[in-house]
Amino acid sequence: MVKRLDDLPEVEANHLRRVECPTYDDTPLLGGKPLAERRVAIISTAGLHRRGDRPFRPGDGSYRVISAETSARDLVMSHISVNFDRTGFQQDSNVVFPIDRLRELVADGAVGSMASVHYSFMGAFPPDAAKPHAQHLAGLLKADKVDAALLVPV
Amino acid sequence: MGALGHFLEREGIATTGISLVREHTETVRPPRALWVTFELGRPLGRPDDPPFQRRVAKAALDLLARTDGPLIADYPEHVTEEADFTGWACPIGLAPTQVDSLGAEIDRLATWHDRAVAARGRTTVGVSGLDMPSAGALVDGALAGNLPPAQPLKEAVDDLKAYYLEAAAAFPDAGTDRMRKEWFWSETRLGEVLLALQPKLAASDDPQHKILGNLTLIPAVERHRLAKR
Repeated sequence: MVKRLDDLPEVEANHLRRVECPTYDDTPLLGGKPLAERRVAIISTAGLHRRGDRPFRPGDGSYRVISAETSARDLVMSHISVNFDRTGFQQDSNVVFPIDRLRELVADGAVGSMASVHYSFMGAFPPDAAKPHAQHLAGLLKADKVDAALLVPV
Repeated sequence: MGALGHFLEREGIATTGISLVREHTETVRPPRALWVTFELGRPLGRPDDPPFQRRVAKAALDLLARTDGPLIADYPEHVTEEADFTGWACPIGLAPTQVDSLGAEIDRLATWHDRAVAARGRTTVGVSGLDMPSAGALVDGALAGNLPPAQPLKEAVDDLKAYYLEAAAAFPDAGTDRMRKEWFWSETRLGEVLLALQPKLAASDDPQHKILGNLTLIPAVERHRLAKR
């Protein structure tokens, strides 16, 4: 069980301590509709994409498009980091990209609806490299009537 | 991950997310985060456990109702690690021999990989576009001194790692994920080849080779093996 960095093996903790995290003067916070009325997209940073799409490269701040109809059979992961488990994803893609869980929550009425398109970045990107892509992505999300995003790291 | 929360929320999309490393989230201060204690690489906690995953997803989504952020909520459920039995040995006769080759090892695993694909209905192999013998030949060639560009080499290595670990999950007594990773690094010829390749990449004049050798070939928790060589 991962608790805090101090509880991890030293070599792993030191690796994570070296990750540069951006800081911000303030945090924007939007109100909005109840969850049962929201349209939700999943945005992963696991370096996921369809087999045959451009793999991620070091420093890549762009994203890949994963339509809601994409089969788990077509999903691969090209994250450059080797410092996280991939066997969970190999066993069950939903442990990284919970699209079937989101679909169930929509069917249950807990979530209003699911975006027609979902997205993946590759985490540990330089924030400046991702910012223009994220701003463009916001436009795509709005065009799909999405008003909330579930951000899933790896 | 947290940076995306800032970007998207500022552009009008409300965000919530999962946090795997609390210290990072405390620094980045995204709008809303559900901190989980799961292993890195498993943000929803447990593979093949839809109810568990659904509870995690719902808990993260429920945070959208809150506007008192930046906030980090602690997820109350944890994942207990699988029991680790010491003395586990690969039940299949795959141990490399002196006369063995990487190609022969890849070939011997094919049946097990086929079984894994049949059982799971999918494979995560397929980033490089190479078949596994070709990926192995690329890695063998790199070790022999013909270093290809870093990107295709990295993609071939990642595909091979996925192929090996997926195949091992189909062994009759497959052990735990942790045991199979130990098997990969301590008992396979591919693991040996990657450890031998690391110093060649690190010594290359090509900065992309250096990144691969120093950061993205051998996991941090396995680098102790380099010192023993």
